[in-house]
Amino acid sequence: MPTWFKTALVAIVAAIVVGSVWAQVRSSRRSAGYQPARTADGKPDLSGVWQALNTANFDIQSHPARPALALIPAAPRTGVAGLVRATPTDIPAPAVRALGAVGAVPAGEGVVDGDEVPYQPWAAAKKKENVEHWLERDPEIKCFMPGVPRATYMPYPFQILQGTDTILIAYEFAGTTRTIHMNKVGNSPSPSWMGLSRGRWEGDTLVVDVTDFNDETWFDRAGNFHSDALHIVERYTAVSPYHLMYEVTVEDPKVFTRPWKMRMPLYRRTEKDKRILEYKCVEFVEEAMYGHLGVVDPATGHTNK
Amino acid sequence: MRYGSVAILLTLAVVAGAAVFAVASAARNSTAAPASDTHSTTPVARTAWGDPDFQGVWRYEAVIALERPARFGGREFLTDAEIAQIQQTEKDQEANRLAGVEGEAVGRQSIAASPIRGNEYNSFWQDHGRPRKVYKQTSLITDPRDGRIPYTPDAQKADARAAARYGVGPYESYLDPDTGERCLTDGVTGMMWQGPNGGHNQIVQSPGYVTILHEEYRDRRIIPVDGRPHSNIRQWFGDSVGHWQGDTLVVDTTNFVDKTNYEWASIWTRPSETLHLLERFKRTDADTLEYTITVEDPTTFVKPWTAVIPISKVPDGTQIYEYACHEGNYAMPNLLSGARANAASKTAGR
Repeated sequence: MPTWFKTALVAIVAAIVVGSVWAQVRSSRRSAGYQPARTADGKPDLSGVWQALNTANFDIQSHPARPALALIPAAPRTGVAGLVRATPTDIPAPAVRALGAVGAVPAGEGVVDGDEVPYQPWAAAKKKENVEHWLERDPEIKCFMPGVPRATYMPYPFQILQGTDTILIAYEFAGTTRTIHMNKVGNSPSPSWMGLSRGRWEGDTLVVDVTDFNDETWFDRAGNFHSDALHIVERYTAVSPYHLMYEVTVEDPKVFTRPWKMRMPLYRRTEKDKRILEYKCVEFVEEAMYGHLGVVDPATGHTNK
Repeated sequence: MRYGSVAILLTLAVVAGAAVFAVASAARNSTAAPASDTHSTTPVARTAWGDPDFQGVWRYEAVIALERPARFGGREFLTDAEIAQIQQTEKDQEANRLAGVEGEAVGRQSIAASPIRGNEYNSFWQDHGRPRKVYKQTSLITDPRDGRIPYTPDAQKADARAAARYGVGPYESYLDPDTGERCLTDGVTGMMWQGPNGGHNQIVQSPGYVTILHEEYRDRRIIPVDGRPHSNIRQWFGDSVGHWQGDTLVVDTTNFVDKTNYEWASIWTRPSETLHLLERFKRTDADTLEYTITVEDPTTFVKPWTAVIPISKVPDGTQIYEYACHEGNYAMPNLLSGARANAASKTAGR
């Protein structure tokens, strides 16, 4: 074998080795080591049924367990003078009392970066008031569309369906669907519950910019809220075949002093043939919403309540 | 009422016999061909993973009565003269719409002529935007040959009752308005083509799935086309499984929940445990989806019936919008409050 040939061979092999190592390093930097499956057009395949497993829908901030979402102060105890009695604590409000442990709130770690929601002073006061009026005000109770990002971490699964220019996120709760426009799309003609979603790929991350919200939705059952100036940026990144990392940036200059972030893993529902089922909750809330209007007795014309 | 008006066109056609439109189609189960057009032989577009591509926003833009109006005397197809006349009417109405004219000149019923109280309000939502396509069929129903829904005697009564209560009541309870007025749904059977409030359907495909988003009531169907069996969970929209038969999507739906105890604007859309729905979607040209349904339900019909429905693709870039029906259902408490005040005043007069 001529020397020039050996030299050339060594150089070629070295180039291939160096090149492939460099490519691996580059791709691992880009996607934290995990290479997601690809769709037919080469995009990361995020399709499947997913669900959050946390207590963020109760409260996006860290919270201890408590007896109920709606609490009232217990009546003070009058006892024999000079004898110590157990201190009165908040107890479940009459409307939810019969639920017992089913109506209690599990403790949970917060999903907010730094565990602080940076409300403006007036907004912090309103948040507190929302807690006191949770039963009347939480849109979840009325089966209203949950908004973004709350829809993601409610205790129901959702399905990502990757179409050609459109990605759908189909939520089980209230049969709500979001259309993520991957092509150019005009602004929404009116504010909406689920907002207008524009998607793009940043490396292997699906980034969704969501605007055109109304001010009706909440972030959780703890009264965390926003205005119609809400701007959400979501980032969905596959980190294993079974996990997505979900990051949200929340911006609302009318309510918060600065943008803030939430992050959480989403888990694949791996049951065979897992479906998103119907949850048409409208008929489940009609009694709560309209029952107070009673039923007309056609014989007498009286309304029975 | 606004939200419950989805079935109003068909109700008009069926109940009032006032349908002016009509059209198309060859014999039963065959193609619904536009009267003025022949079939394009363009190959069906395919998705990147090889399925026939039906993606886009679709809307029923012909106005063929579901059931054949009596004035056709059993005739299945329009004459050339009738087709020409309808095409002219469509052109005139389009011109009138663009000129800002209202009422009968744009195909809406006047308040005086409205056969259903409350319809003058609903008619506002029925703007078709562009001239409707004219087909030869005189009814969407092609089987039975008489073009009529083969109701059982009980269902016939229920249908008459549903028509009589529309826009009238009673409203003794929140259960009395129909499922549309309650912002639940108008039913899966008419979902692909009903809806004067818009009637837009977006089809999005992904490997193993065909998803249909119906704008009204934000109804949604995620249809697996991956060969899985039916589930055993009963639902309003049943359990759908699809498969490709050549370039045709065939969807079989069973396991409906029984909601026959609710009020329906059109009772032929109501689900029951014995309902079996078979649907076929076929792209006959770039802008037309031939949608064929066969409805079988001994609870409501004496035999299965089939309708062939031509559905049009609306221009690319058309969006469907959020339909926050229940979230904005001010009609419900107002309707009930009004009915209570009405009942109380009658009592006071006794």
